[in-house]
Amino acid sequence: MDERILVEQLKQGDESAFKTIVETWQNMVYNTALGIVQNAEDAEDIAQETFVQVYQSIGSFKGESKFSTWLYRITIAKALDHERRKKRKKRFGFVRSLFGEDSEVVVNPPDFNHPGVVLDKKEKAATLFKTIAELPENQRIAFTLHKVDGLSYQEVAEVMDTTVSSVESLMHRAKTNLKKKLEDYYKDRE
Amino acid sequence: MKMRPDMDKKVQETLESLDGIQRAEPQPFFYTRVIGRLQRNDKTVWETMSSFISRPVVVFAGLFVILLVNAFMVLRQDATTTNTGLTADQTEQLVTDNEYVLATNSSFDYENIDRP
Repeated sequence: MDERILVEQLKQGDESAFKTIVETWQNMVYNTALGIVQNAEDAEDIAQETFVQVYQSIGSFKGESKFSTWLYRITIAKALDHERRKKRKKRFGFVRSLFGEDSEVVVNPPDFNHPGVVLDKKEKAATLFKTIAELPENQRIAFTLHKVDGLSYQEVAEVMDTTVSSVESLMHRAKTNLKKKLEDYYKDRE
Repeated sequence: MKMRPDMDKKVQETLESLDGIQRAEPQPFFYTRVIGRLQRNDKTVWETMSSFISRPVVVFAGLFVILLVNAFMVLRQDATTTNTGLTADQTEQLVTDNEYVLATNSSFDYENIDRP
């Protein structure tokens, strides 16, 4: 069904339209969240929050961009917000542990294995995901959207509300940084 | 500095490890869980009001208003308080006069107020 019709129906409170929207875009939203937060449970949580937000604020969607672009933006905002909260919690847990309070110190998570990676590339992909997590936010989002979600530079530019040349520049810097970090990583392991 | 060929190969292979990646899917019955979450998010008027009042911005704004009203009242009172205009000598005289007033009213005086 045409996405504009679905959006109009959802604006009128049609629950079946909401169901169609969730079922059409759930994989896309979940996959994007998973690429950013690199944790299946957190990605599921973010995907749910994204659709709740869609239901509650569909009235503010004016149709100036594609519906999927709007969905990507909500997902990315939620994922980044989730990461910040997690980092804050980690810092707070560490400070509390310094004062001897009985608090759970958040340990570094194990290597992330994306379920969509081909089996013989799993180990290298886990290393790459670990390195991607160290990139600056903009480079990380551009790289993840292009490589994990398979968006073109044009689509990445629309989601990030920037120009294609900016995305090209972000991707170039991301690749240079990744190369350097990976080289250091492999050197340390020798 | 040029990278060693074996290292370069390893790095390149790692960078290309996401080529051909498949989209990950959430667990089955995702829609049911979204609906469950939506229903949990449906708050009553009291819940909405209490969550609004407990917001740090609202709490601090409330405190600020209370302090402002207090400061305003204190300043206003200072401005309207009339000066008695008594000098130190006059005050001393007043205290001395009060100390030498012989009339003391006890409960006996009040109870027998009509008697001569």
